[in-house]
Amino acid sequence: MAIKFDRVASIVFLAVGVLFIVGSRHISSSSYGSVVGPDIFPFVLGGLLVLLSIRLFFEANQSKGAEGNKEKLEYKPFIIIFVATLLYILTLETIGYVITTFLFLLVCFQTMERKKLIMSIIISAAFSGLVYFLFVDVLKGTLPGWPIWF
Amino acid sequence: MSTLDYLFQGFGTALIWYNLIFAFVGVLIGTAVGVLPGIGPMSGVALLIPVTASITSGLSPEQAATSAIILLAGVYYGAMYGGSTTSILLNTPGESSSVVTTLDGYQMAKKGRAGSALSIAAIGSFVAGIVTLLALIFLAKPLSAVALKFGPSEYFSLMLLGLGAVSGLAGKSVTKALIMTVCGLLLGTIGIDSVSGIARFTFDVPWLYQGIEFLTIAVGLFALGEVFKTILEKEEEDGEMARINNLIPSKEEMKESAGPIARGSILGFFVGILPGAGATLASFFSYLLEKKISKNPAKFGTGAIAGVAAPESANNAASGGAMIPLLTMGIPGSGTTAILMGALMMYNVQPGPLLFEDHPQVAWGLIASMFIGNIMLLILNLPLVKVFAKIIQTPKQFLIPMIIAISIFGVYAVQVSMYDLLLLLTCGVLGYFLSKNDYPIAPLVLGLVLGPMVENNLRRALTISNGDYSVFFTRPISMVFLLITALWLIVPFMMKKKGKEVVINVEG
Repeated sequence: MAIKFDRVASIVFLAVGVLFIVGSRHISSSSYGSVVGPDIFPFVLGGLLVLLSIRLFFEANQSKGAEGNKEKLEYKPFIIIFVATLLYILTLETIGYVITTFLFLLVCFQTMERKKLIMSIIISAAFSGLVYFLFVDVLKGTLPGWPIWF
Repeated sequence: MSTLDYLFQGFGTALIWYNLIFAFVGVLIGTAVGVLPGIGPMSGVALLIPVTASITSGLSPEQAATSAIILLAGVYYGAMYGGSTTSILLNTPGESSSVVTTLDGYQMAKKGRAGSALSIAAIGSFVAGIVTLLALIFLAKPLSAVALKFGPSEYFSLMLLGLGAVSGLAGKSVTKALIMTVCGLLLGTIGIDSVSGIARFTFDVPWLYQGIEFLTIAVGLFALGEVFKTILEKEEEDGEMARINNLIPSKEEMKESAGPIARGSILGFFVGILPGAGATLASFFSYLLEKKISKNPAKFGTGAIAGVAAPESANNAASGGAMIPLLTMGIPGSGTTAILMGALMMYNVQPGPLLFEDHPQVAWGLIASMFIGNIMLLILNLPLVKVFAKIIQTPKQFLIPMIIAISIFGVYAVQVSMYDLLLLLTCGVLGYFLSKNDYPIAPLVLGLVLGPMVENNLRRALTISNGDYSVFFTRPISMVFLLITALWLIVPFMMKKKGKEVVINVEG
């Protein structure tokens, strides 16, 4: 797993390095009063990243140890929580903080462990309400509170 | 004004009622962070930056910076206290810097001496904290006076040294650490170039013009990364908590641990000053030192009190020592101090030699509050250790989702942008996979924080020398820094080649 990851990562890093080198060629090469323009630093770094990723690629190929100890990963709760977080982020500005946070927390609490439903509801409601009250009413911060069509 | 006057002024700042509360909340959360395995000081501090930013929004900028840094630093050194509690009671270290403590601490607890182990750990941490603070006070002025004489070329080389040192010691593979450093530096170049005003790598996206926000990256990589790790790698906790009966150590135990505490404090302090070497290394070294000079080394591992006293003092001393390069020179030597530096810069307070001139309130207020914080920790930890040990039983069911909610709230409160939240989530997933595959994250954050400064100093130096790159090698101090950087990266590499085991720093 780790070695495969390293190979893929080295190619990704290589691509990033090349992109930065190419990108830095489009930046004007000098600024007024200085011989060193804004393009040098990213250019050199991009080059460094390319060199390092090539090295990583060879390192990954060299150490082909047979690491067969597969850990059991809990993908299901992770994916549910990930999707819930994504939805939470995307709907935060339209539906507002209080409702989305409440739903998000409730879903996640129940995903982590399917028990204590009433406790989960109480904690989610208390958290979202309290944070909103403290931040907006006490600290006068900005947070989209309720749905925009409200 | 003399140092003492400044210090008294600092106490004046630190003793304002809200700063006392900030210090108290900081050390309290710090202890909790230390007790909870899975949340390290780095993610704890990162998570709290936006929260403190919104709490302090009503204060004037300088006061806000002081209060915020008091709280955040409190989390940092508070975590060093808390880490020992679970090491001793449960044999599960809350922090990587307390791993060594488990060796003897848990053995002591098994023998029914958990109470004295805990109190010695707390006393050792306290002594170490005070020792490093005194050293910090005496070293702050002369060191920043030296640093003031540095020109851009010296600064550039010094920052390279900091980056090199952290990369050289972080993680298993130097290549991976260097890749992460370079990535951090590259991320730092996105946005409007501060020298020429030209937009770089923004692709005409308005959101990118202000640059990638350090806060989003840090919270995502550290806090969310660790949360995802906990979700994916569900661990069943077992292990019985040792009982605490007698909290007061006997006179013999005090006598026995006085030496280790003193040595651990001094060693930890110097290890902490070194960039790259952090609390983890300090505790490890001090344990080895005690074992070496002990009359009967066989006792170590079976419940020797010196094996608890020395590493616990050392990791606390190291966390204090790490503040020195940060405050006097503006060079963070570890992941956590990099995050603290980023927090200061959010308040437009630039750590470095001018900090003591420009913002004496921030610098001395912080130092004075660390005194107060350490006393608070001692008082909190001795009688309340049982309460803190209970924190570990906080059900993950509620804790994990709440950490996600807090990070999203925090980032949104500061950035007010949905794109930042998406970046946060991406960083969380990346953070998990990167650290799972031994890509250390601390160098990336360090690179991101230091990047713009490295570049500005590089370009300033080259502008002064009219584009002549030899300036970095002809100026003696700069040359020395570059040499040390090269050695730092090459020596561990050579040692690995020879098949020697190289001590690495897991946490920043």
